[in-house]
Amino acid sequence: MINLFQFIPEIFILSLILITLCFGLFNKDRAISLNTLGFILLSVLLLNYGKDFYSSTQISLNTINLFVLAKIILSIGSIVFILLLKRPLKNENLYRYEYVLFLLFAILGSFVLISSNNFLTAFIGLELQSLSLYLMAAFNTKNLSSNEAGIKYFSLGALSSGFLLFGISMIYYDTGSFNIQNLYNFTAISEIGLSLVLISLFFKVSAAPFHIWTPDVYEGSPTISTLFFATLPKFASLIFLFRVYQELNISDIKSLNYIFQMVCAISLLVGVYGAITQKVIKRLLAFSSINHIGFMLLGIMSYQFMSEGTLLFYLIIYLITTFGIFAVLLNLRTVDGEFTKISQLNGLRFTSNSKSISMLVFFFSLAGIPPFAGFFAKFFILSASINDGFILLSIIAVLSSVIAAFYYLTIIKNMFFNKSEIDLLDDNNKTGKVIFILSGLIITLFFIYPDPLINLVDNLFK
Amino acid sequence: MSFPILSLLILTPIIGALTLSLSSSTQLKNKTIFLSGLWITTGEFLLSLLLPIFYDKSKNGYQFIEFHTWFDKFDINYYVGVDGVSIPLILLTTFLVPICLLCSINSIQNRAKEFVIYFLLLESFIIGVFVSIDLVIFYVFFEAVLIPMFLIIGIWGGENRLYATFKFFLYTLAGSVLMLLAIIYIISKVKSGNIELISDFTFDQQIELVLFLCFFASFAVKVPMFPFHTWLPDAHVQAPTSGSVILAGVLLKLGAYGFIRLSLPFFEYASIYFQPMIFALSCVAIVYTSIVALRQLDMKKMIAYSSVAHMGFVTIGIFTLTQDGINGAYFQMISHGIVSAALFLIVGVVYERHHTRMISDYSGVTNVMPKYSFFFMVFMLSSVGLPGTSGFVGEFLVIMSTISVSVYLTFFTAIGVILGASYMLLLYKNINFGDLKSDIKQLADLTNIEIFYFSCLAFLTMLLGIYPKLLFEMINKSISLSII
Repeated sequence: MINLFQFIPEIFILSLILITLCFGLFNKDRAISLNTLGFILLSVLLLNYGKDFYSSTQISLNTINLFVLAKIILSIGSIVFILLLKRPLKNENLYRYEYVLFLLFAILGSFVLISSNNFLTAFIGLELQSLSLYLMAAFNTKNLSSNEAGIKYFSLGALSSGFLLFGISMIYYDTGSFNIQNLYNFTAISEIGLSLVLISLFFKVSAAPFHIWTPDVYEGSPTISTLFFATLPKFASLIFLFRVYQELNISDIKSLNYIFQMVCAISLLVGVYGAITQKVIKRLLAFSSINHIGFMLLGIMSYQFMSEGTLLFYLIIYLITTFGIFAVLLNLRTVDGEFTKISQLNGLRFTSNSKSISMLVFFFSLAGIPPFAGFFAKFFILSASINDGFILLSIIAVLSSVIAAFYYLTIIKNMFFNKSEIDLLDDNNKTGKVIFILSGLIITLFFIYPDPLINLVDNLFK
Repeated sequence: MSFPILSLLILTPIIGALTLSLSSSTQLKNKTIFLSGLWITTGEFLLSLLLPIFYDKSKNGYQFIEFHTWFDKFDINYYVGVDGVSIPLILLTTFLVPICLLCSINSIQNRAKEFVIYFLLLESFIIGVFVSIDLVIFYVFFEAVLIPMFLIIGIWGGENRLYATFKFFLYTLAGSVLMLLAIIYIISKVKSGNIELISDFTFDQQIELVLFLCFFASFAVKVPMFPFHTWLPDAHVQAPTSGSVILAGVLLKLGAYGFIRLSLPFFEYASIYFQPMIFALSCVAIVYTSIVALRQLDMKKMIAYSSVAHMGFVTIGIFTLTQDGINGAYFQMISHGIVSAALFLIVGVVYERHHTRMISDYSGVTNVMPKYSFFFMVFMLSSVGLPGTSGFVGEFLVIMSTISVSVYLTFFTAIGVILGASYMLLLYKNINFGDLKSDIKQLADLTNIEIFYFSCLAFLTMLLGIYPKLLFEMINKSISLSII
């Protein structure tokens, strides 16, 4: 008898999908705002009873904490995202309730992915998530580049799913089990299989050298979809990658460990070198996210010192910053449509106080300059990695962040030092404004009062 | 004393900046903004005067200590306190910031509110560096200083300001991140960021050398020492006058302060091991940059190069590892803080009136601006190191202490003094004497405000030059502790 109790979050989302499907036919506004309510309910549910859901299973307490926290973060992220999406979609004439459905499916996939103990379930979760993402990329059907982004994302994503399946089948051939937790005694075949699984996961989180899709998809998709790609699904995939790393003790398997370190170093470097010459802000953010993935992989590898805490903290800060940046970007428009180029940010300082100062905070935080929260995120990751002996990778990481500072500074330069050439229109989206001001405040004030965020991930620190 | 004076010193400018930023900018005139900034910074200066008054010179160790846990899990605490080494630098900071605001009332016309806010933030970050005795918050403040400075140079700088401000930021950041790694490593070994605890800890010799180099990378860029100094002339030339003043007056001292406060007590073996390298670099800095300064056409650039040369004395003094040497270096730091700040103000005065910094565009200024020439002379002589001015004491002590190390070192530092005299006198002669150029005739002499701050600075130079004990009393004990 399967204990259905542990599937309550997933069942909740599934029922939310069904309700939205029926309700959306009649009133899309209500259907969408209903989802906000639903996710609020879900976060409260997880916050209060999250640990009880898994109490009957044999999962270790640490992992349960990770599940619950990751799901809470995903639901809160979804709330913010649903609040944000209305205006940008309306501007593009894309305001349809199906978009929220895709979002829900993607989140459902992420939930399944996070808490799966079995490679096949993980595959289903990952596919559910990815298929929704392909659709979100191509959601602007009248726009060529959006279609292109969708197709590119789909074809490359399908390839990586193939790798994943092939890898899983090799592991199954070798060990006779799909189970993640009880895999021991690897032979070379499972190692190859596992490396294929890892490659597929690296593709999903856009770690270099499996990142080629990222800049194009980021640029072509509607900005609101880009925000989604950059945050929640990546978060879920990283958590799963972390679990694979931890449960399978990849740090003990020499060859895979080597792959992991190489990918980490390459991501750190490719991210910064790619970003330097970019003129389009979404491409720049794509490359900068690759650099940050490098940091996160470093955090995954050095879990022995301070456990999941450092990684989750980095992820949370990164999510908050990314939401903030995109909330600002979504709030800006040029006369002839969405604004794309970095140079179009020129002189933002003179047109909007709140936007320019929030952007200043976000980019300095991404660059890891104290006193902003991004510094502490990097600081914790680096402390963990130095304690675990990854000295060379740490050096690469900090040097890459110096180079990264250059292009973040370029954006700040455009906003603060240059005079504006074209008029940026303010969308005056109140919810967007609230979101970026709030995230700016969190990033800044963390320095003075770090307790709430630290306590949030506290039970994950050893 | 349980009164949290240090936190108050850090917070006052921040709170001031916050209130300013919340006030609506359209209603306030530039002058009101500057005046309110002046009130805040003057209050801050008066507040900081409490430090030397209540500081107990007979006691060892840090005073006015405040301790709050910050990140439990990592043993990182908000731990601040001051000793004799930090107090004079805090005073120097709080003293220079109001002057910076005073000198920009007329020259900064656009975005005055932002200007004042950045300066207030800058002040509190700098004070944060000087009061922190935990490595992590030291680093946080040390890096945070870059943000307002980046904006100050970038927004109000000269025509090539972007290049200068990027170079400044990236150079300093590249040095600092290596220090960050070293800090993390130290904390993981000692299990604490407390500076006193780390001083008692002995590292493996090989590792100590590496750690020293990491700290050196950061501080050498900040000081700046010879091969890492190229950002300084650019930053100085492009920065607005007030930016140059705070840069030369205080920011350069952060590096030297780091050497005294962190490098020497942490890495005793490495400090002795790298002594020759630092002497060599400093000698090159003194002689080479002095010669470069001789050939400069731009006044600000000349003074910027002279800063590098003078900071060379400081690093030599610190790494003689003798009480006299460090005392002299420290004195030179404070003196250079006052004098170079004053010299940049001097340049700023004529630049504001004539809009050029080229030396060849001026001659015979003394005919139209006698008061200006007088103050110029005072600071020029102090920079040269005339006995009776503050510049003399530091240079003298440093040169004296080098004899115990090596006579060659003495020779090179002494050459630096001669070269210093030649370029400063040349600068003074070219600008003030000679035929009066026709387009200079309408230049107005110093205003009352300018006379006010120049006399404050001149008074301080004379006071320290005639009665150096004032400073030595304060620092002697703390410095003797840091040598061991």
